[in-house]
Amino acid sequence: MDGTLIGIVAFLAVIGLLAIRVPIAFALAGVAAVGAFCIFAFRTGDFMPDRAIRPTSSLVFSNFFDLIHSYDLSMIPLFVALGHIAYRAEITTAIYHAARVWLAKIPGGVAMASVVGCGGFSAISGSSIACASTMGRICAPEMLSMGYDKRLATASVAAGGTLGSLIPPSVLFIIYGIFTETSISSLFLAGVLPGLLSLAGFLLVIWIWVRQKPGDAPAFTGEITAAERRQAAFAAWPAAALFIVIVGGIYGGFFTATEAAAISVALVTLTGFLQRKLTLAGFWAALRETGIQTTSIFLIAAAAKIFVAFIALTGVAPAIVGAVTGAEPNVIVLMGAIALIYLALGMFLDPIGIMVLTLPLMVPLVESYGLDLIWFGVVVIKLLEIGLITPPVGLNVFVISSVVGKSVPIDRIFSGLLRFLSIDILVLIIIMAVPALSLLIPYSV
Amino acid sequence: MLRWVERFLLDLAAAAIVALGLLITASVLLRITLNSGIPDTVVMVAELMVAAIILPLAATIAARANIVVEVLSQHFPGRVQDCLVILGGVIGLLALLPLLWAGYREAASAIESGGFFFGQLNLPKWPGRVLFLFGLIVCWVRLLVQVVADMRTFARGERIDTETGTNYMQEEA
Repeated sequence: MDGTLIGIVAFLAVIGLLAIRVPIAFALAGVAAVGAFCIFAFRTGDFMPDRAIRPTSSLVFSNFFDLIHSYDLSMIPLFVALGHIAYRAEITTAIYHAARVWLAKIPGGVAMASVVGCGGFSAISGSSIACASTMGRICAPEMLSMGYDKRLATASVAAGGTLGSLIPPSVLFIIYGIFTETSISSLFLAGVLPGLLSLAGFLLVIWIWVRQKPGDAPAFTGEITAAERRQAAFAAWPAAALFIVIVGGIYGGFFTATEAAAISVALVTLTGFLQRKLTLAGFWAALRETGIQTTSIFLIAAAAKIFVAFIALTGVAPAIVGAVTGAEPNVIVLMGAIALIYLALGMFLDPIGIMVLTLPLMVPLVESYGLDLIWFGVVVIKLLEIGLITPPVGLNVFVISSVVGKSVPIDRIFSGLLRFLSIDILVLIIIMAVPALSLLIPYSV
Repeated sequence: MLRWVERFLLDLAAAAIVALGLLITASVLLRITLNSGIPDTVVMVAELMVAAIILPLAATIAARANIVVEVLSQHFPGRVQDCLVILGGVIGLLALLPLLWAGYREAASAIESGGFFFGQLNLPKWPGRVLFLFGLIVCWVRLLVQVVADMRTFARGERIDTETGTNYMQEEA
């Protein structure tokens, strides 16, 4: 039986199983185990199952175990814990409150503060959905109660939440780094400028929106004193310090991304306890949340690792790379096609699922064109971020919808997101056209 | 009983996360201040990672925190959706079998051979492998219990609740 055929059948089987709601991890691991067994059993031409048991068992175990038995990847539970502990220590909310006080007098200031708050949260937490969920609970109800247009109030937080994946630390960058064997520290640094550009783009959208329709964002009528501003800014210092520790520490070569994660968790825990905002029960609950969230991430990543190893056995990737390069498309056509594939998949699948399904095929293709994998990582993460706010499965939209309830129908949130999507596409084009934007910081270290 | 075991394992995983964070932090601080370090930190953190990732597997299953794609299935009638939930669980049970078998082989081999990691402390290899096998067994049993419970709910003509899994965060620490 031909390996390439087994590989293609396996891809179709995974897609079929995902469509009928089989958990991603089980679909990937199950198909990979059966597929690898078939390849080993048919290796000599005849079907010899007894020869397939030992190599299949080794392939399954080594790929799963080696992924979790990793010093470097301990940064995933640590960064996930950082977000949960920082939230319970009220550090993430302090960023929003500071932005809220400082931007209150600007038209659309609360919506802008939400986006800035999301940016600040992203600098501590590594998950877009966690960002949208946490900030959505705080910002969206406040804007709605102030009389903000429902579309603006919900769309600004849903869009702002996507910053979680691009601004370091980012779980998606870590998973991308695992599968492409690129430096996670470099990926983190590469995400800084595109992340800030996305944030600036969102602020621009709100500014233009409110200029065109001032009634959508009622002006703030209260008084804010200079002392209140100073107090709010001072309250946000732990968040700023954490960002400096993470990005500055990696950029300055003081420590690795894994060490930055551990130091940040230690700092945020210490600060939380010293400020008496973090309780022992809250700390432990944050760790339990971390345990469950990290396990569900690793379950998919480890299953995907088995699947990738199986795909390498089949020879599907070289066959597809050969077919594509044989057609000789230029880089612009290639990247355009890749972007369309990711945007289409983003409408139906979650970001981790898309990455683990596509990277085994995309990475050899991109490498065959001599493109930089760090830059490609930023492009992929930006595309995945866009997928979080595109219908029908924009996960961030559903997160915000669960927060605001039936007061804002989902189609209203999606209609508000159209403006943010247009700026996202513009930022994507800039990231694709100007690789230096992503590569400037990592390659200057 | 199973619920108590899940929560205990989740707490052990939480402790493992604290331990690996402390180990790395202490290592960095010692390097900066005394130009020294803790021996075999890399191995110890890697072993703790196994505990941190594998021990909460059963709790993750109980919390129904497995990531699924519902874009197509959500349009099916309720009974069909419930069938797919059960089918997903059954496929999960089958998908975990090769891992269980491989995990058993590796754990047995690590104990029999007395293998150890090269380093200053020569730490044994078996604890991580045994933890891996133990976590997978508990996870498989939890999934089996969940599938059987789902089948019973289905047989009674009721809907399977996939939204509200066990919430360990609300329970007393």
